[in-house]
Amino acid sequence: MSLRNTAERWGGVSQLLHWTIAVLILSIGAIGLVMGELPRTPKYFWVYTLHKSLGITVLALVLARIGWRLYAGAPAPVPGTPRWQARLAATVHVALYALALAMPLSGWLYDSASGLRPFRWFGLAEVPKLSAPDEALAGTAHGVHEWLFWLLLALVAAHAGAALYHHLFRRDATLARMLPRGWLSPSPDEDSR
Amino acid sequence: MTVKLTSPAAVAAALAAMLAPAAQAADYAQAPGSTLAFASRYDGELFTGRFSDFATRLSFDPARPEAGRLDVTIALASAATGNADRDSTLRTADFFDVSRFAQARYTASGFRRLADGQYAADGTLELRGVRKPVTLTFQWSGGAQPVLSGKAVVRRLDFGVGGGDWADTGTIPDEVNISTRVLLKPL
Repeated sequence: MSLRNTAERWGGVSQLLHWTIAVLILSIGAIGLVMGELPRTPKYFWVYTLHKSLGITVLALVLARIGWRLYAGAPAPVPGTPRWQARLAATVHVALYALALAMPLSGWLYDSASGLRPFRWFGLAEVPKLSAPDEALAGTAHGVHEWLFWLLLALVAAHAGAALYHHLFRRDATLARMLPRGWLSPSPDEDSR
Repeated sequence: MTVKLTSPAAVAAALAAMLAPAAQAADYAQAPGSTLAFASRYDGELFTGRFSDFATRLSFDPARPEAGRLDVTIALASAATGNADRDSTLRTADFFDVSRFAQARYTASGFRRLADGQYAADGTLELRGVRKPVTLTFQWSGGAQPVLSGKAVVRRLDFGVGGGDWADTGTIPDEVNISTRVLLKPL
């Protein structure tokens, strides 16, 4: 498996980052949706710390992923992709990168402006505050964090739906090339051959 | 033009009339602009709050502090710390339990003059159904509209404020610092 991206396939580094970030985003989203329902006592504050710690981790991984992509490039659209689809896909990809950065940043700002308690990344390292306690700013950041989440969810659904469409109906390599060689045949038909 | 000199007896009477009210305990009520604040920490992170709704009655003569009387009522639901989540938590049964104990009350009678010119009131705080002694140390500005600037330390666990999961003093210290600045108007 090539670590670098080629014209046909995503390399190992991009694949690892893609799926790690995908799993983290889904986990963080699920934690974020349920943690507000927990009793607001110190017994459950670790759940918030976990949500924030995973979010900061995503921020770092997305920066690494963008850096790697700028260095290693990206495969071309699969042959036969209509121009409008390639453009739409590229737009969604840019939006996903932007949201994967904006989500942790808005959450970090919300945490900072709330001024409730120190935030230590997985309890290990104190994360600096982006702002002094500011009730209005905290409210704005929280609203942005929440709305961007729903937007991110919609884009992730579109992105995953498009990948599955390519794999199941177009039977091309769009999904398979984001996975290690051999995990998934470009076309499901090829499995039986 | 003749200058009519006032007799010594009249001067004495006038002075006595001027001084007499000052020598008596004056009664005051709280004027707008007064503040009652508290400061604590969560996991080391400092936060401050204010009770926007409190009322003070004071009877005080700096010359006779032992005759002073103070009565403060505090609407606990008015506590605001700059964070709605924290404020709503403060109103729950774990903290002020405002549905059962809407008000706190601080009463003191008989103040002491301290060596540094300040005064101390050894009063009683009634908070969350518990009555315990709390000493308020204050400065007195004097004047027609005096200002009482005071500080006190309240041990929150004495009153069950922040019990249960919140009782760990490594996270929230037991001692809560109170500071107040009461603008007073004569009654």
